[in-house]
Amino acid sequence: MESKEVLDELKTILVARLKFDPRRAAETSESTPLPKGIEGSIGLDSLDFIELSIAIEERFGIAMDENQDLTEYFASFDTLSRFIAGKLPSA
Amino acid sequence: MTVEPGVAITGVGVVSAAVTGDSAALGAFLAAPSAPADAALGAGALAALVDPAEARRLSRVCHLTVAAARLALRESGVDPAAGLGLIVGTEFGDLGSTHAFADGFLARGPAGLSALLFPNTVMNTMVATTAIAVGAREMALTLNAPTVGGELAVARAAAAVASGRVPAVLAGGVDELDPVVEHELTRLGLGAECRGEGAAFVVLEPRAAARARGATVLGEVRAAAWRALPARPWGVGRARCSYAIDAALKAAGARPGDVGWVYASGSRDEARDRWEQAVLDAALGPAPPVSALGRLLGRHAGLGVLRVAAGAWTARSGLLPVVNGTTGVARVRPGRGLVHGLARGGAHVALLVDAA
Amino acid sequence: MKPVVVTGLGAVSPYGAGVVAYWKGLAAGVCTIRDLTLIETDGFRCRIGAEVPGPLAGSARRTRADRLAIAAAGEALEDAGLGARDRRAAALVVGAVGGGMLEAEAWYWRGGARPACLSAVRAMLPSAHAETLSSRFALGGPRHTVVTACSSGAVALAEAAELIADGVVDVALAGGVDAVTRICFMGFNALKLLDPVPCRPFDRERRGMSIGEGAGFMVLESRARARARGAHVYATLAGHGMTTDAFHVTAPEPDGDGMVRAMTAALRQAGAAPAEVRYANAHGTGTPQNDRIEGRALARVFGEGGLLVSSSKSMIGHTMAAAGSLEAIATVLALEHGVVPPTANLATPDPDVPFDCVPRVSRGVPLACAISNSFGFGGQNVTLLFRRGPA
Repeated sequence: MESKEVLDELKTILVARLKFDPRRAAETSESTPLPKGIEGSIGLDSLDFIELSIAIEERFGIAMDENQDLTEYFASFDTLSRFIAGKLPSA
Repeated sequence: MTVEPGVAITGVGVVSAAVTGDSAALGAFLAAPSAPADAALGAGALAALVDPAEARRLSRVCHLTVAAARLALRESGVDPAAGLGLIVGTEFGDLGSTHAFADGFLARGPAGLSALLFPNTVMNTMVATTAIAVGAREMALTLNAPTVGGELAVARAAAAVASGRVPAVLAGGVDELDPVVEHELTRLGLGAECRGEGAAFVVLEPRAAARARGATVLGEVRAAAWRALPARPWGVGRARCSYAIDAALKAAGARPGDVGWVYASGSRDEARDRWEQAVLDAALGPAPPVSALGRLLGRHAGLGVLRVAAGAWTARSGLLPVVNGTTGVARVRPGRGLVHGLARGGAHVALLVDAA
Repeated sequence: MKPVVVTGLGAVSPYGAGVVAYWKGLAAGVCTIRDLTLIETDGFRCRIGAEVPGPLAGSARRTRADRLAIAAAGEALEDAGLGARDRRAAALVVGAVGGGMLEAEAWYWRGGARPACLSAVRAMLPSAHAETLSSRFALGGPRHTVVTACSSGAVALAEAAELIADGVVDVALAGGVDAVTRICFMGFNALKLLDPVPCRPFDRERRGMSIGEGAGFMVLESRARARARGAHVYATLAGHGMTTDAFHVTAPEPDGDGMVRAMTAALRQAGAAPAEVRYANAHGTGTPQNDRIEGRALARVFGEGGLLVSSSKSMIGHTMAAAGSLEAIATVLALEHGVVPPTANLATPDPDVPFDCVPRVSRGVPLACAISNSFGFGGQNVTLLFRRGPA
């Protein structure tokens, strides 16, 4: 899967599962920070990240190991896309 | 219980299809009441009161609650950091989120579950989200009751303020019209009973404290009591002895003849409405005029709280809207009156409300 | 403010019906958490919980939660020896969350094509139990239902105590009830808050909660009334504190400030010094967050190692709206018997929790004063403080 496709899927998840306004979701880019409390971020908290994990597992068919600390991968869409791409079976 | 040293109402907030705003907006509505064209509340009214980042995380019923709570708090000028309790009455809670949560699973299995929706399946969600939104850190209660949830929340809040346990309380009621619930109730023949939706809050604090900080006192809760009348579960009883009204009158040192007007909880459930009228007649003797806002606006827990705010307005103005099912406004004796609620099954609330 | 005492106890727990079975199980440290049978669990990471063993007393036409409530409430009223006149005047406060949701789910899962019957729709809401109990036991006083998530059962007891302390009534029946529901099970699974194995509160390796179900009710009355009618007094409900984190809808406030304020308020109302309290029945769900934060909050109030701490949830799971009242009953019985029930499944105590959490085996300790904590979802915190006997 191309990284642009992954980004588009993530934006769809932002709207469908995280209830973002479609315009707001469209404005985000790969480098937009995700977690709350960082300047310019879309303001996700711990509950949002759980929802995002469930959605990623469903949409991309990958499993997220909850015993592993995944915080660094959730920093931005860029880090998240790369994490997802790394878990997908090679095309 | 006696509510010495006086429980003052210092803020009002209402969000509904018929009226949205603080005590001034409510007063304007009561002076010329009319049913809204659409009984369900539009989204536009809410947008101004809650910012988009917050709104994203609020279910519709939580959104109504936060908006109304903020309106009331703003009018009162109470500082939550000084200690604020929160009590919300509701009949149905967030059933919309509940069946949406279940639908996610039924459509797609465990992956279809929404972590964001799950907290809304517990009925304290309106209180939990509103406590965060306004910074209420004392007690926070959700009271679930058929019909009288709103009145009960105010009565419970008045007791909390009067006992000195908490410096101020935001007391509210909220219900929303959920299509799935409405569909089922209509299939069961309960469509004729008018249900509405909305949220309403009052801010209660000790009269002395309100005066000390120069707040405008909109009215007072002189006494509040909740009791039960004998009836089968969800049944309409025959008993007319009004323990709640008696207890409230006694606590305020008042006689039946002192009650100049009544806001009752009628809403076109004819058998229940007749029972309530019989209880009022038995308690108050020559009947003072009775307003039934529920027959115009539909029953919901928010309306129960709105009636307390309306009582304060009537006590000041000597005007009573929606008497005998008409949309007109009658002249009544200003000063103290009764806000009354009676549910099928017998839950019974009486509040004696007066001008400042 | 009038002193409030406990004169009757009633419980239906994963050990079975009755207070005797409940205390016997707790004192023996028996864990009841096993494979769930009431609901489908395929595809979920955690598939266990603590169910009340069947058959249940009462009519199968009633919801499961109503049946649990009726059995526990009936036992409490019987235990207190409350006659018809006292019952007619008694207040009723119920803590509930799920109500009759289990049965409503079954209907909804079948597609909801047939109209639900009216009594089933009404039985779904948390307020239904109060209607059922007041009718079944001819309780004629003020009644209300509180929904404060995991602390509902404890809030119900505190509410009833306030009605008595303020002189509104002399007697009250109060408590909480919850039956297993699909929504609760699925939701906590989705939030990844459940341990796939039986929960291990205060253990270094703990991974989450286990769900449970049950009902716990107490008869509370003014001490004067209890004396006048010669009632047996288990304990005095000497103080309570109710606070709100106002922090997050699911996560507890990291410093435990709301918990500290609840415990402090209970101590203040009871006129108790922290050193008087020898045992805390913890909220102790077994989630990494709760147990760490609660441990820290307890240390701030009582000093590290200042009292014994144990979690009944290690044995009966998290019984949701019943937890606050079932665990209050455990606390009262601990005072009565001078026995602190253990924390089951505790193999390696978490060094971050600076207390003796009574691993696996109950401890005989004469107790005069104990607290029970319930810290609900959404930061709804309650602490109840009990003193032994009529104090």
